[in-house]
Amino acid sequence: MSCLIVQSDKTLLLEVDHELAGACRRAIAPFAELERAPEHIHTYRITPLGLWNARAAGHDAEQVVDALVEFSRYPVPHALLVDVAETMARYGRLTLSKHPTHGLVLTSTDRPVLEEILRSKRVQPLVGERIDADSVAVHPSERGQIKQTLLKLGWPAEDLAGYVDGEAHPIELDETGWALRPYQKQAVEGFWHGGSGVVVLPCGAGKTLVGAGAMAQAKATTLILVTNTVSARQWKHELVKRTSLTEEEIGEYSGTRKEIRPVTIATYQVLTTKRKGIYPHLELFDSRDWGLILYDEVHLLPAPVFKFTADLQARRRLGLTATLVREDGRESDVFSLIGPKRFDAPWKEIEAQGYIAPADCVEVRVNLTDAERLAYATAETEEKYRFCATTATKRKVTEALVAKHKGEQTLVIGQYIDQLDELGEHLDAPVIKGETSNAQREKLFEAFRQGEISVLVVSKVANFSIDLPEATVAIQVSGTFGSRQEEAQRLGRVLRPKADGHEARFYSVVARDTIDQDFAAHRQRFLAEQGYAYRIMDADELLS
Amino acid sequence: MGRMGTTPEGSSPRTLAEALRSRDDGELAALLRARPDLLSPVPSDLSQLATRAGTRASVVRALERLDRFALQTAEALAVAPDLAPYDALVALMAGDDGDEVVEAALPRAVALLRTQALVWGGDDRLRLVRTARELLAPSPSRPSPTGLGPTVGESTSGMSPGRIQQIITAAGLTTTHDPVSAVAGLTALFTDRDRMAALLDTAPSEALTVLDRLVWGPPYGEVTSNPTPPVRWLRDRGLLLPASPRTVVLPREVALHLRAGRAHRVPEPVPPAVRAAPSALGEGRPQLVDATAAGQALTALTAVEDLLQDWHEGGPAVLRAGGLSVRDLKRAAMALDTTEAMAAFWLELAYAAGLLASDGETDERYAPTPAYDEWLTLPSAGRWAQLAQAWLTSTRTSGLVGSLDGKGRSYSVLGPGLDRSATVETRLRVLELLAELPEGTAAAQDTLLARLRWERPLQAATAANTITSNNPADRASGPIDLRSRIAAWTLAEAESMGVTGRGALASHGRALLGASAAEHSGATQPTHQAEVAAVSAEAARKAAAVLTPLLPEPLDHVLLQADLTAVAPGPLKRPLAETLSVLADVESKGGATVYRFTPGSVRRALDAGRSASDLHAFLAAHSRTPVPQPLSYLIDDVARRHGHLRVGTASAYVRCDDEALLDEILADRRSQPLGLRRIAPTVLAAQAEAPVLLDALRTLGYAPAAESSEGAVLIARAHARRTPPRTPPAPVPDGPPVPNTTLLTAAVKAIRAGDLASTVALKPTPSEPAQQPASGELPRSTPAETLATVQAAAMTGSVVWIGYVNAEGSASQRVIAPVRVEGGFVTAYDHTADEVRTYPLHRITGVAELADDVS
Repeated sequence: MSCLIVQSDKTLLLEVDHELAGACRRAIAPFAELERAPEHIHTYRITPLGLWNARAAGHDAEQVVDALVEFSRYPVPHALLVDVAETMARYGRLTLSKHPTHGLVLTSTDRPVLEEILRSKRVQPLVGERIDADSVAVHPSERGQIKQTLLKLGWPAEDLAGYVDGEAHPIELDETGWALRPYQKQAVEGFWHGGSGVVVLPCGAGKTLVGAGAMAQAKATTLILVTNTVSARQWKHELVKRTSLTEEEIGEYSGTRKEIRPVTIATYQVLTTKRKGIYPHLELFDSRDWGLILYDEVHLLPAPVFKFTADLQARRRLGLTATLVREDGRESDVFSLIGPKRFDAPWKEIEAQGYIAPADCVEVRVNLTDAERLAYATAETEEKYRFCATTATKRKVTEALVAKHKGEQTLVIGQYIDQLDELGEHLDAPVIKGETSNAQREKLFEAFRQGEISVLVVSKVANFSIDLPEATVAIQVSGTFGSRQEEAQRLGRVLRPKADGHEARFYSVVARDTIDQDFAAHRQRFLAEQGYAYRIMDADELLS
Repeated sequence: MGRMGTTPEGSSPRTLAEALRSRDDGELAALLRARPDLLSPVPSDLSQLATRAGTRASVVRALERLDRFALQTAEALAVAPDLAPYDALVALMAGDDGDEVVEAALPRAVALLRTQALVWGGDDRLRLVRTARELLAPSPSRPSPTGLGPTVGESTSGMSPGRIQQIITAAGLTTTHDPVSAVAGLTALFTDRDRMAALLDTAPSEALTVLDRLVWGPPYGEVTSNPTPPVRWLRDRGLLLPASPRTVVLPREVALHLRAGRAHRVPEPVPPAVRAAPSALGEGRPQLVDATAAGQALTALTAVEDLLQDWHEGGPAVLRAGGLSVRDLKRAAMALDTTEAMAAFWLELAYAAGLLASDGETDERYAPTPAYDEWLTLPSAGRWAQLAQAWLTSTRTSGLVGSLDGKGRSYSVLGPGLDRSATVETRLRVLELLAELPEGTAAAQDTLLARLRWERPLQAATAANTITSNNPADRASGPIDLRSRIAAWTLAEAESMGVTGRGALASHGRALLGASAAEHSGATQPTHQAEVAAVSAEAARKAAAVLTPLLPEPLDHVLLQADLTAVAPGPLKRPLAETLSVLADVESKGGATVYRFTPGSVRRALDAGRSASDLHAFLAAHSRTPVPQPLSYLIDDVARRHGHLRVGTASAYVRCDDEALLDEILADRRSQPLGLRRIAPTVLAAQAEAPVLLDALRTLGYAPAAESSEGAVLIARAHARRTPPRTPPAPVPDGPPVPNTTLLTAAVKAIRAGDLASTVALKPTPSEPAQQPASGELPRSTPAETLATVQAAAMTGSVVWIGYVNAEGSASQRVIAPVRVEGGFVTAYDHTADEVRTYPLHRITGVAELADDVS
C-alpha cells in the first residue's frame, strides 16, 4: 500500500503518516499545488498552471507520470495521465526569444498552434510582422501582455528572451552571527535558477532575507515594492543590518520621501496614485536601469501594478508572499507576469523545523444579547456584518482574554475604528489606525517591541509586514469579511519564534449564528488547510 | 436423414438442388448454420431449400457475411465464364505469374463458398449461384467491384456485322462473315497472351496510356464524336468497344490481359493482422492493465450508482417520443462530472442491465427498478459482471445519441431507434480480436478496424452506402461506416467499463469473453435460451471471481480531520458510505472519497432521524483517530439549533389567560374527541374545526368566543346563508297554451301537406313496377330515372313524391311540384313545407309519381 491516492478530479491525497510520504511529497511537489494540509491527509491539486510551472522548472511529463504511477495506491486513471501529458505538451510549443535582427520573436515548433493563436483577436494587436512560417515578431513592449494572453488561450509561451543585467551594484550578504536558513537558500536558488518567479513562505519565516539573498545574487540595482511606509522602513533597516548596503545606498520612495538610490524601496500606494488620469510616479520604473524588481506581499499587488509589470518583462522579478491566494482569482496573472511559483514551503513544515512558533488557534463564539439579536435580524444587509462583528459582548470577551494572558505581549486586531477605539479605552491600550502618523506608529511599535507596552490595539494597517517579534497573543475581533489571506497574515504577526519556545495564541472572536460566523469559517480555510486546527470555545466558558 | 441425392457419384450435378442432394448431413447442417435464414420456415425438401438459397434476399445476406477474400473469390467467379474450372479461378485470383499465398488460401475460400451454397459443381465446373452472379457481375449501371467491364461477346452483341468485320480486319484476323465466329476469333485473340502482346506492341504509346487509365476500372471512358487518334486506333481494333454513343468500354478480356490475368488489383488472401499499439504512457504490463481496468470498473460502478442514487426518488420525465430530454442528459452529465456522451453511455448501460426503466405511469418518469435494489446487495465484482454482461449482449448503441435519424430527428438517450443488431456482433468481435493479442497489449485502432473491414467488407460498405473500392488507401480514408464506428465506440466503452485497461483486454474481461466466445460460435446455431443464459451466467461468475482480488477491499473506517473533512482512503462498506453521504457532502471522488462536514450536511443527518449522540458515536466508531474538536462542536452546535422552531398542523386553537381553566378542559374526558394538545401554558391546539370546537365547549358549559384571524372577537350573529342568483320557476299549466289563428292556419296546412305526402297513392314507376316502396320507406330510383321523372314532372306540371336526405343526413319524404330542373338542382313547390324550395338532385334518393287523382 502506497501513500498517494489519485482522484479522478485531479486531486492527490497524500497520507502524511506513511513512511513514503516524504519521498512522495518531493516527487509531486514540483507539479502539484498543495491545497490543504490538515493533520492526516494532505490534498494536492494538479492544475494546468502547476504542470506548466513544472515544465518551466525543467520537469517533463514522463517524470510527472512516473511519480503518479509509482506512488499511487490505486491504479491511476489513464485519462488523467493522458491529460497530464497533453497539458504539459502545450507548454513550450511557443517560445519568446531574442532575434538578432527582428528583436523579440515568438516562435513555434507547431505551426497550427501559431496559426491558431494569431487568429485570436486578443493576440493580433500584440504581434508585428510575420517573419517566416514559424515565427512572428512581437513588440518588445508587449512581452508581458502576450505572455498573459497566451496563458489565457492555453498555450503558455516559454520566455527565453532573457533578462537585462541592469546597472551593476555590489551587494553582499553580511552573514556575521547568522546565516541564511536552508529553505531560504533553496528559495533563493530556486528563484535565481528560474530567472523570475514567486517565493511562498509563511509569515515570519524570513521572506525579507530571501529578498536580500536574491539581491546579493543579482548584484545590481534593485527596486523593492512594498505595501506601506512602515514596511519600507523595516526593509531598509533589515537590509542595512543583513547586507553590505549602507543607509545612503537605500532610498525610500513614498508619500513623504522621493529618494531614488541604487536600492529603492517604493510603496504600492505611491505608485498607484493617479493624478489627472495619469500615474505620475511611474517614471520610477525607468529612472534607473534596475537589475531586479522585488514585489513584497505579491498577493496584494494592485491591478495597476500588474499593468506596469507587464512592461518590465526584461527585468528579473521576484515576488514574495505567505499566501498566494487572491480573493480576486488573479493568480494566473501573477504566474504570467511575475513568474511561476519557484519555492513553496508548507507552514507546518517550517514550524517543525522550529523557524516559526507553533500556534494555538481558538475561535471564541460569543452570543449576542437578546436585544442585539433582534437588532441584527432587522438590520440592513450591508450593515449586518458590522453590527454582529462589533457586538458589545466581544468587548467583554476581549477583556477577559487580555486579562487571561496578562504579562504577554498582546495584539488586539480589528476592522472597525469605533470598535477599536472603544476597546483601546477599556483596555487602556494605545490604538494604531490609519490616521496615526508614521512617526507615532513607529514609536508605539518600538515601545511594544521593548515591552514598555504590553497591549496594542491595531487596525488593518498592521496586517502586513510589521515585524513585532515579541507578540505572542493576537485577538482578532473583526476582519475584512471573509478574507483568507488577512487571517493568515494576522496569525503571522505572532509566529516569530519565541525565545523560550512557547507557543503563540491566536484568538478569533466571533458572534454566534450570524454572518460573522460564516465569514470566520471562510477566513479560517487557508489556515485550516495549512494544518492549523481551530478549537472552538464558548464565550461563557471563558467569562465564567 | 440419409443421402437423398439420386445423382450417381462422380457425375456432375445439374442443378443446385441436385448438388445439395449429394451433400451429406454434416454439410447440410453447416449450410444451415451459416445461413440460418434458410431455416425459417423449415423447407419441406431440398428443392425448396435450393430455391430459397437462390433468392436474392438470402444471397445478399450470405454475401454480406463473407470475408474479403471469399468475396473476392466470388467476384472473380462472377467475371469468369460460367462453369469455370478451378484452374481458371486460380488464374483469375493469382494472375499469370502465380501467387503462392493466394493459391494457398483459395481452397478455403472456395470451400467456404461451397458450404454456403453460393458455389456448387465439381472443381472442373464451378458454378456461382445465378443470383450471386447477377449481383456481382459487372453491368453498365453497376460496375463490378473488380473494375472489369463486359466481355467482348457482351459488348458486341448489338453491333452491326459490318462493323465487326472492320474490327476483325483491323485486328489482323482473317475475315469471316459469320459474326459469331468473328467474335469468337476476337475473343481468342484477346485471350492469347502472345498474340495480344504482339498486337499491343504495334500500338502507339498514347494508346497504351489510355488503356492504363481504364485497366483497373472503371472500364468506361467518355469519347467525343471525333476521338483522338490513339482512341481511334484502339477502337478500330476492338480494344475499346462502344458502350453508348459517347462512351467506350474496355472489354474484360483486354483488361485481364493487361492485368496479367488478375481479377483483383490486390487480392487479400490473409486477414490483416491486428497489431499492438505503439506503447503509450506506462508500458503495458498485464498487472498494470488489470489494475487500471479494475480501477475503472470501480469508477463505472460508482457512476451507475451515483446516477441512480440521484434518481432515487424519481428521475426525470420520459419524452413523449420516448427517451430522456437533452436538458436532463446535460444535468446527469453535470452530476457525474463527465461528458454528455459518457453520461449517455452510463444511462444506456443501466437501462440495458435492467436497473433503470420508465415507471409507466401516466406522467411517465424514469426510476430505478427493483432489480437495482437487488443489484446493490451484490459484491462489487458481481455488480460489475452483471453490468458487463448486459453491455456485451445489448444492441443498444449509445454512441448514436445526438446524431440524426433518417427523418432528421436526433436520437435521444434511452429513446427509440438506438438498437443496432450489428452492435453485439461487432462488440464481441472487437474483444475477441483484443483477446488474440498477447496479454497486456493494446491494439492499434487502425489495424483493428482494417481487420473488421476485411471480415465483413460488404456490411461495412453497404452500411455507409459506399461502393467497395479495391484500393486499400481509399478504404482507409473513406467514410467511417457503422461497423467501424461501433468498433471505435466499443474500444472506448470497454475502457470506461474496465473491460480493458489502457487499451488491452484485462483478465476479467477475458474471463467474461471466454464463455461468450463459445456462445458466439454457437450463436448461428439456435441454442436453447436457457442454455445461453447459463453459459453467460457462468462467464459472469468467472469474470467476477477474477475481478474480486483486483478490487480494493471495502474499508470500515475514515480519517477525520480538523478542517471538517473526512477522507475514506478507499471504497467504504455500504452502510458506512450511506450514512456518511447523509452526514457529509462528497467533495472529491475516485479511489478515495473526500467528505466535507457542513452545518447543512449535519442538519440533513439530524433531519434523517439521527441524534447528536448517534452521530458522535458513529464518528468515534469509524474514525481511527480521535474526533477533532471542531467537528464535535459543529455537530453539537447544529443539534442545539435543530428543531428549535417546531411546525405542526392544527385546525383551531383555544387560548385562555387562565391556565387552570385550560387544565380543566384538558382533564375533561368529553374533550378528547377534539384532539386538544397544550402547546403553551395558555394555548391549546385542536384538531377539530373551530365551529365544532365552539359547540363542543358550549356543551361542556363554557362560554367561548370565536376569534378572527386578526385576533378580534367575532360577534355571533344568526348566520344568513344565500344561494347564488336564481330565477323563479316557470309555471307549469295543465296543457299547452291556446294557439292563435296564424299558427293554426299554418299547422293545418302542414298537417295536410304531410298527410298528402304519406297517403298519396303511388303510381308504379314504369321501369320497375314491382318496386313499390313500402309506406314510410324512401322511394328509390337510379339518378337517371330521377332526373327523367322530375324533368317530365316539370314539363307537365305534375306532382311527384321524393325521398330526400338533407345536409344533416336525416331523411324525409316530400311531395313536390317541380318547376325547373337545371344545374343539378330541382326548383319545386314543396307541398309538405308549402313553399318553393330548391333541392340538389344528388340528395334525392328517388322519385315516384303520385296517383293522378291526388294532384
